[in-house]
Amino acid sequence: MSNPMEQFNIQPIIPLKAGGYDISFTNSSLFMVLAVVVSSLIFAFCLRKRTIVPSLSQSVPEAIYEFVAGLLKENAGAEALRYFPFIFTLFLFVAFGNLLGLFPYSFTFTSHVAAVGGLSLLALLFNICIGIHKKKWGYLRTFMPRGIPAALAPLIVPIEMISFLSKPFSLTVRLVANMTVGHIMLKIIAGFVLGLGIGGIVPLVFNGCIVVFEIFIALLQAFIYTVLSCIYLSDAIHSH
Amino acid sequence: MPQLNPTWFISQFFWLCICFFCMLFLMSKVFIPKIKDILDQRQRKIDDYLVKAHQIKEQAEESLQKYNDALAKASADANAALELSRKEMNEFIVKKQNELTQKLNDKLAQGEAQIKETREKAVKDLKNVSQKWALDIVAKLELNEINADDIKDGIKKVVNN
Repeated sequence: MSNPMEQFNIQPIIPLKAGGYDISFTNSSLFMVLAVVVSSLIFAFCLRKRTIVPSLSQSVPEAIYEFVAGLLKENAGAEALRYFPFIFTLFLFVAFGNLLGLFPYSFTFTSHVAAVGGLSLLALLFNICIGIHKKKWGYLRTFMPRGIPAALAPLIVPIEMISFLSKPFSLTVRLVANMTVGHIMLKIIAGFVLGLGIGGIVPLVFNGCIVVFEIFIALLQAFIYTVLSCIYLSDAIHSH
Repeated sequence: MPQLNPTWFISQFFWLCICFFCMLFLMSKVFIPKIKDILDQRQRKIDDYLVKAHQIKEQAEESLQKYNDALAKASADANAALELSRKEMNEFIVKKQNELTQKLNDKLAQGEAQIKETREKAVKDLKNVSQKWALDIVAKLELNEINADDIKDGIKKVVNN
């Protein structure tokens, strides 16, 4: 049985260097590009003919749009709808990253700390930019809420900073852990299919069920990632 | 764990930024406006239909109000016409009754006058016949002490009683 962790190995496809840094195009990069291309192709196909009464294919992007818009409005208020493209892209990028990783011999970039952490970091920077843009210096109040005595500042400010910085960390760990565990489980059970010969039908069926479950988990994790991003965005817009 | 291998961190972050911002650009400039446009069009259409439905409803209510008004007016006109007819008929009946009563009274008066005249004539004739017969009887009986005036008075007394 092959090592279930092998599937997470990054293989360079086009080696690239810039300023002493290795920015090679890897299998991870390939699936990031595929997530963009596949999602764009699906959207382009579904939206090729737009009618007032939507066709089945047109309903798909519309449903995703309304679903994400509803999430954003519910969690961050109508005011946050101006940042909808960012949240919508976040949801699609994570969802397609998760789903593409479920294909055999594919790569799940959402199981990598650097990719998801980078995405969470982008979301955090986005929130900070919005916070500073809206409140200017008042945004620093995030680390020192109103009504707290100044004497408690040395205690409160570090706690609030840790809490603030733990947001992208928790987002990253949750998604990475879910994706990693799911794929390890799939790989291990798939290893039994060949090993058990004719009896391998049992793990094969079981693996089929796990794949269905993983599809659900992939979408659920994208949903959770988006909801939490909406909540963090709401904190940036409305906090203290 | 390959996930924690820092060798590819920069590469992954670099390509993540490129892919994510490409996707953000595509979504915000191409696909989201398309979806938003069609959703807005649909919402406008729905709003238009709602406005039209509201207008039609108002028109229907207005028509119903007009119909009820017309019905009430027609009913009032019919009642007025009926009342007028009833009044005219009553007047006609009263007039005819009065005319008939007058005619009957006239006939009655005429009849009474005729009866009176006939009676008076009969009494007069009776007086004359009685007087003639009495004179004839007195003359046949040769009652000379009874003259014509006595007979006349006597008959007059009898007839008047």
